[in-house]
Amino acid sequence: MARVYNWQIRRQMSYWYPENRPQKQFAAVFDINKCIACQTCTLACKTTWTSGKGQEYMLWNNVESKPYGFYPLMWDSKLLGMLGPQAWNKETFAGRTIFEAAPAGERVLGWRPAEFDYAYPNVGEDDCAGTVEHGVSLHGPHMLWFYYLARICNHCTYPACLASCPRASIYKRPEDGIVLLDQGRCRGYRECTKACPYKKVFFNPLTGTSEKCIACYPKIEQGIQPQCFVNCIGKIRLAGWISTPEKAREDNPIDYLVHVKKVALPLFPQFGLEPNVYYIPPVHAPAKFLQQMFGPGVQAAIDAYRSAAQDEKLAGLLGLFGSTERVVPRFAQEKDWVTAREEDGKEILRVPLREPIYIREAFDKKYQVVRTNCP
Amino acid sequence: MMRALVVTVAVAPAVLLGCRRVETPPSANVVLASAAKLPSEPSDAAWNAAPEYVAKLIPQDLVDPRLMTASTAELRVRALSDGSRAAFRLEWRDETPDDMSATARFADACAVQFPAAVEPTVPSPQMGEAGRPVAITYWSASWQAFVDGRGNSLQDIYPNAAIDHYPFEAASLKSGSAEQQAMAARYAPAHALGNDLAGPRKLPVQDLIAEGPGTLSPVASTDSDGRGSRTQDGWAVVIRRQLPAGFAEQLHTQIAFAVWEGSHEEVGARKMRTAWITLTNQEKP
Ligand code: SF4
Ligand code: SF4
Repeated sequence: MARVYNWQIRRQMSYWYPENRPQKQFAAVFDINKCIACQTCTLACKTTWTSGKGQEYMLWNNVESKPYGFYPLMWDSKLLGMLGPQAWNKETFAGRTIFEAAPAGERVLGWRPAEFDYAYPNVGEDDCAGTVEHGVSLHGPHMLWFYYLARICNHCTYPACLASCPRASIYKRPEDGIVLLDQGRCRGYRECTKACPYKKVFFNPLTGTSEKCIACYPKIEQGIQPQCFVNCIGKIRLAGWISTPEKAREDNPIDYLVHVKKVALPLFPQFGLEPNVYYIPPVHAPAKFLQQMFGPGVQAAIDAYRSAAQDEKLAGLLGLFGSTERVVPRFAQEKDWVTAREEDGKEILRVPLREPIYIREAFDKKYQVVRTNCP
Repeated sequence: MMRALVVTVAVAPAVLLGCRRVETPPSANVVLASAAKLPSEPSDAAWNAAPEYVAKLIPQDLVDPRLMTASTAELRVRALSDGSRAAFRLEWRDETPDDMSATARFADACAVQFPAAVEPTVPSPQMGEAGRPVAITYWSASWQAFVDGRGNSLQDIYPNAAIDHYPFEAASLKSGSAEQQAMAARYAPAHALGNDLAGPRKLPVQDLIAEGPGTLSPVASTDSDGRGSRTQDGWAVVIRRQLPAGFAEQLHTQIAFAVWEGSHEEVGARKMRTAWITLTNQEKP
């Protein structure tokens, strides 16, 4: 095993291959607070990529309710149990990653779900933690809570799927960091379905190969965001490019949210993969649960998010989510406007910080009718 | 009444002998007996002419991922040759027939391996090495099931599965038309690339070449054939293939075997294997 640097856990760690970062790294921010679990993303992906024979059970994108939703069943809690209690020393992870905890004979600590573990993609939907007792009241964080966790492949910097494949059938593209599984090279060993802690590689029994999310790379190559992003009803998603922390740019939307404002956090950073989908944690759920899922930065992220109303740049950037089909590599906020820009500064579109309010007279004299105004 | 009983008792050992065929003593290496015609069926009487070699299997525990607990203990091998091609019959005990590959199900399988060319020194028995390839023929119980008629649909795996719709089977698309087939191929990229690891399959075997662990690749077109079937307590598999280049002159080379036990989640590098075993031609009397 090689020694590599993982900035999400702020330390060196062991990995099967030496550190080899792509020229650009595809990344995304999902704002959990805005997700309504409509599953439009799931269907957008399903109809585009996984409507084939042998793909019936596959959801490259899925949305589950936490704490009781899992697809496949127990995907995260099972691995957490295998790892046992692990500690953070402030922002440095002091426990063992799944590469460091690999037992003899394995490249990664993992487990392979049973077939029926995939049979309940919406288990736990809208089930809240705890029971509604007399005296329950609404305050933040909520006494009874659940939240929606939309998940795709994280196109990890240190993919466990890639590390586990003895045939090197999985590769990370140097031009955009997208992790792909070569359908001509795979021999269906399913080491990857066992190794990926997020369970985002799926075996197709009718082709005999494993398949995974491709980050809609034909769209990314044209500068367009993936299907699950542009179809998102809640406008919770933003695709872009992430830098390592020391190279972070203020005008790169992903860098700004992850590195500058630290409002978006990786999913289970302690597993050690440096996943590249970042989540704005839900403000109403208890920090303890969220810290296990998103690491030690949870409270600071929630505080930063709550302050967005007073932070025009952050508020403006949040307004760019779901505003354009284009990938937004740069942005700028000036006075009342936020602009999405190409890398060369060319404007893609502009969005007002505050939507203008139009008030109509309740009584329309011209048509002699009474109209209702909606706020 | 008494007579009948005696007859039954006398017949039983003969039946067992017929299965195990211990008439030739176990051989010290794998010996190719000559045969005018190579049998395709594991049950063919022609196999009785070949001595049996019992290969002890060891877990693949040299490269990660490894097989950490041993499973199939041994493999019984008989070999026949017609001068240019060879036929091997591999028999092993396996009480759990696994002939399906699904999300968490693995198929039983076996393979034979040779140095790709007969040379004074042999490449590593562990899948060969760079510049010194090994030739492999692999048989899978799942492929055998496809050859024997199992379909390749979701219902063949999950009989009660219901599917609403596949877009490439829409009524508006003429079934079998170029447009319809192109659309179906888009949803099955492995098939589109000719990587036929599932059904339908014409052959239960595949010829492959490797130059070290992780380099296994199929040859352009498989020339070998084979057939496997269940025995009372396991599998009997015939693999018929070309002998390695140079064998006709040297009359000896090395051979290695591997067995995968599906119910033990053995697949790829996780297998029971042998080291190199000498393969010779039977001395002419
Ligand atoms: S489309 Fe958007 S809002 Fe709807 S479930 Fe998916 S991520 Fe959530
Ligand atoms: S999320 Fe899983 S499948 Fe995706 S790159 Fe990471 S390890 Fe691989």
